[in-house]
Amino acid sequence: MIEYLNLFWKYLPMLLNGLKLTLLIALLGISIAIILGIFLCVLSISKNKILEKIASTYITIVRGIPLMILALFLYFGVIKNSMSTNSAAIIILAINASAYMAEIFRAGVQAIDIGQTEAARSLGLSYFQTMRKVIFPQAVKIMIPSLMNQSISSLKDTAILSAITVNELTLTSKVIIARNYRAFELYSYAAIIYLIVIIFLTYLSKRVESKLNYTQR
Amino acid sequence: MEKIIECEHVSKVFGDLVVLKDISFSVEKGETVCLIGPSGSGKSTMLRCLNKLEEIQKGEIKVNGLDVKSVKNVNTYRSNIGMVFQHFNLFPNYTVIENMTLAPRTLKKLSKKEAIKKAEELLERVGLSDKRDVYPATLSGGQKQRVAIARALEMNPSILLFDEPTSALDPEMVGEVLDVMKSLAKEGMTMVVVTHEMGFARDVANRILFMDDGYIVEEAPPLEMFQNPKTDRCKKFLSNFI
Repeated sequence: MIEYLNLFWKYLPMLLNGLKLTLLIALLGISIAIILGIFLCVLSISKNKILEKIASTYITIVRGIPLMILALFLYFGVIKNSMSTNSAAIIILAINASAYMAEIFRAGVQAIDIGQTEAARSLGLSYFQTMRKVIFPQAVKIMIPSLMNQSISSLKDTAILSAITVNELTLTSKVIIARNYRAFELYSYAAIIYLIVIIFLTYLSKRVESKLNYTQR
Repeated sequence: MEKIIECEHVSKVFGDLVVLKDISFSVEKGETVCLIGPSGSGKSTMLRCLNKLEEIQKGEIKVNGLDVKSVKNVNTYRSNIGMVFQHFNLFPNYTVIENMTLAPRTLKKLSKKEAIKKAEELLERVGLSDKRDVYPATLSGGQKQRVAIARALEMNPSILLFDEPTSALDPEMVGEVLDVMKSLAKEGMTMVVVTHEMGFARDVANRILFMDDGYIVEEAPPLEMFQNPKTDRCKKFLSNFI
């Protein structure tokens, strides 16, 4: 037990360095995915059939490919040496998550009663004013649990990006294990670190959710 | 009198379903016109065509002398026509006063100060001054609908459209909403009201249009309509309310 803890303290700085990269890639990847997702959602609820088709095709393709294959294909097949590994990782994660985000946004917007749109439009608000001031604020409230789910999922997905040599938490553990063969210890450390981060994030999202709970006031 | 709404041979289809078939009627300034009839007769659709929530396929609708087909900016057009819905459709993410000031402020029709001042006056008028800063979820149905009416009035519309404004209310709350509508009618607001409240139609309307199956079957002042309906269809419908 003491040895387990000693080893933990010894490798903690290296693991935290890996975690830093994990968080950075997740944060930027998810942020880009949210922006892309909103854009795709606007396309998929538009009345223009072509735009709608573009969005649904993108979503079908991205959701239908395992992240591992998407990462290997894009990194080794398309991107090659044209950008840094970390930038590539962010882009790959963003592409993957954006398809799921788009569906979360679409479901959220469509869950709002059509009467809200009609009321806003009949007061003279434009389509975009209605979306921005009336529909989106309400949809966000519904979407937060799903958004949080997807963000947690994407954060964990960064582990897969170790396959394209991103030096994040999982790859860092692997590299240490290659040196000292302590698979049980190192993987359990990584697991604990992931778990702590995700418990913290879940707590944060619960706080945000309860702050937005205007129906209870 | 000045005609504020003129409909000529209006027809409207949803796919294969013909909802409005050759509808013609007009509304004069200051008039209250009630649309009555069985469910599915096209009353609500007719109302929604007036503020372009629905597009018509044939015929002509003129509002304030303007052909709705030639409307360039639908938002400006709609801001001049208030609409009150069966299910209130207040915005749950805004307080009562924010619900009322959202549109005039977003559309820069009024400054923040003017919008709030006007909203406070209107709230007082519908008897809800004390609810200024609460969220809609805390209001009763009747209170919600009174706020919805005040919200529509805040835009200073030339016409108010009501789509079954009391159908979702429990009987005790119907009166408070109808009272507000009555006082508006008295002040000369032009109103088109789709309703099942025959008492209201009888007491307040200048004219009643009875619709069935996409047609206006009968059109008459309330007394004539209730005491002496001409068509069998109208007779049969009204017999349910006596």
